[in-house]
Amino acid sequence: MTIQETISQARKSGRKALDESNGKQLLAEFGVTVPQSIVTKDAATAAGDVSNLKFPVVVKVMSADILHKSDAGGVKVGLQNADEVSQAIAEMAKQPEIKKADVDGYLVEEMAPPGQELVVGGLKDPQFGPLVMVGLGGIFVEVLKDVAFRICPIEEIDAREMLAELKGAPLLKGARGQKPVSEDAIIDVLMKVGGDNGLLMQLEDDIAEADINPLIVSDNGAVAVDARFILTKQSNS
Amino acid sequence: MNKNTTPKPASGQDAAAYYQPLFAPKTVAIVGASSSKEIIGNTFLRRIKDYGFKGDIYPIHPKADEINGFKAYPSLAETPKPVDYCYIAVGAAQVPDLVESGQGRIKFAHVISSGFGEVSEGVALQNQLVETAHKNNCRIIGPNSLGLYSPRGGITFVEESSKELGPVGIISQSGGLGTDIVARGQRRGVRFSGLVSVGNCADIGPTELLDFYLADPETKVIGAYLEQVKEGRKFFETLKASQGSKPVVILKGGRTEQGSRAAASHTGALAGNEQVWLALSKQTGCILADTLDEFLDILLAFQNLEPRTDRPSDRITLFGNGGGTSVLASDFYARRGLSIPPFDSKTVDALRALQLPPGTSIDNPVDAPVGTLRQEEGAIAEKIMDAVYAHSKPDALVMHLNMAAFRGRTPPSVMENLLQAAFRIQEKYPGQAHFLLALRSEGDPETEEIKRRFRKIALESNVPVFDELSNAAVALAALKFYETFKRDHVKA
Repeated sequence: MTIQETISQARKSGRKALDESNGKQLLAEFGVTVPQSIVTKDAATAAGDVSNLKFPVVVKVMSADILHKSDAGGVKVGLQNADEVSQAIAEMAKQPEIKKADVDGYLVEEMAPPGQELVVGGLKDPQFGPLVMVGLGGIFVEVLKDVAFRICPIEEIDAREMLAELKGAPLLKGARGQKPVSEDAIIDVLMKVGGDNGLLMQLEDDIAEADINPLIVSDNGAVAVDARFILTKQSNS
Repeated sequence: MNKNTTPKPASGQDAAAYYQPLFAPKTVAIVGASSSKEIIGNTFLRRIKDYGFKGDIYPIHPKADEINGFKAYPSLAETPKPVDYCYIAVGAAQVPDLVESGQGRIKFAHVISSGFGEVSEGVALQNQLVETAHKNNCRIIGPNSLGLYSPRGGITFVEESSKELGPVGIISQSGGLGTDIVARGQRRGVRFSGLVSVGNCADIGPTELLDFYLADPETKVIGAYLEQVKEGRKFFETLKASQGSKPVVILKGGRTEQGSRAAASHTGALAGNEQVWLALSKQTGCILADTLDEFLDILLAFQNLEPRTDRPSDRITLFGNGGGTSVLASDFYARRGLSIPPFDSKTVDALRALQLPPGTSIDNPVDAPVGTLRQEEGAIAEKIMDAVYAHSKPDALVMHLNMAAFRGRTPPSVMENLLQAAFRIQEKYPGQAHFLLALRSEGDPETEEIKRRFRKIALESNVPVFDELSNAAVALAALKFYETFKRDHVKA
């Protein structure tokens, strides 16, 4: 399915947002690295479906009815083999909130290598059009609101200045004895999201809000581990 | 409103030519002047007459033969020549018909009347006004505005406005603040190429006027007071495309308002008006001012100083009398991202060789009490500055004089000699350092009078004068921001 088909199918089924799997497909189309993954129907199908994945993996429930997957008991990380995956899905299916939800399936993903967590976001401003945002993950975004915005399309120098502007920027360079992370990898993602040919400009009519949270950045790359795309109210297409 | 009917500059015609009849009209019609008493239209008529408007003035009145000594015409269709600029200050409901009655003979109609889009019941009337205007090939400024100040055209809505044509072009979404910008700005030495009170921006808005000022050869610096930019995207794109060709200073009202968006994401919850304007500033090099004072100080700096992109203003030398003042200023400059680095040994040696009286600092900031500055009738300043310019090569030097401390101890000629010494150093080292003057007054009328005189002298040498060191810091930080933007973002 092309991106446009995916989006119009989501709209047809009355969804306000893309599901995680479609969101990641969209990111992958624009060249952003996402974990290898499969979608499986239930515990019984899982063992066969995961045969090509590298362990450890994470399992996440997929349902438009569930906003906070972790709170609902719908996320399990660090699964080492197919049996553990099947067992995790079986347990999830018994959780009260998941039981009553309309479940589309279960997303099984390879785990990203450890690194610094960032958030990359997008937003369609009614006056200025698409905006792109970056911030460090966790308390930096949620409590300190340490983020930088730019109006799309951005240029590479804008992306660089966005990172430099963050109060937490020293953490990217390896403060507190950590390994420095690849700033080039972050800039590459920012350009693929907010640049001229980036996702936000190309899908301006369809994407109202976007969160890539977290984007996990190591010393040699960045992986979009979770992604949420809220669709605009009407499509112009 | 059908956008396709908006009259636009003809292809190949630049914005400067398109808006020429607005900024330098040959004919002005005034609707809303009375034959029996002074109402707003009469005030405008009197103002442009006193200000020296050279073209034809056509008061429009259904019955009167004459208004304020000018022959009146019963309708806009009956003026001897077509109307370049039509000033309209009558009840809102009459305005669309008035514009229609011009039958395509009005180029720009400035609608002062309120009762349009700023109130919910006036929205339809405003749309009707723009539609009527465009059908008649007329462009609307306003409605709900105060007027136009254009020295080149002999037009003003501000009492006692300067006749001097300057380089600062202003767009103001508040008429009252527009008046303040002219009245206060000119007392600080800001000289304007124009100021348009744009009101509701029903037709011509900030982006169109930005286009004009960017193209206008008279305008060197652009300032805008903005509350709401309806076509934010177009405004951003125009600014970005200009690549910082002229400094743009924005005083934005309502920056702290959170947008009224119902956010479903982290990003949506974090995005506010403030974030967007900060982004716009960083991506286009336009400067955001927080207060009217900052706005005027920054405009003044850009009016008088030539931005340098190869060496953004970062290393600042402070020189003047007042130890505590220098210490406080050092802190303030640091907070604004400006450095006041200590002198290298060569500079210190050169200053030491001058054998300045005790109590004079030979490091940066150079604190020189009145007792030092009055030596050689003030000529000592030239030697001090020469040593600093020759060895330390600062990006900018701020000379500050606590004027009250001189009074009673020296004749005013000493302070004037200090200024002249500084001007000579500027000539000796052209392009080396931005030179700014802070004339600090305690507010005594006599001091204020000296300050007023010195300000005039300084401006003749293109030296901007500020009230305090902190005002100069705000201006320098803006200059540094603009210079750095051009260095990093604009390919030569």
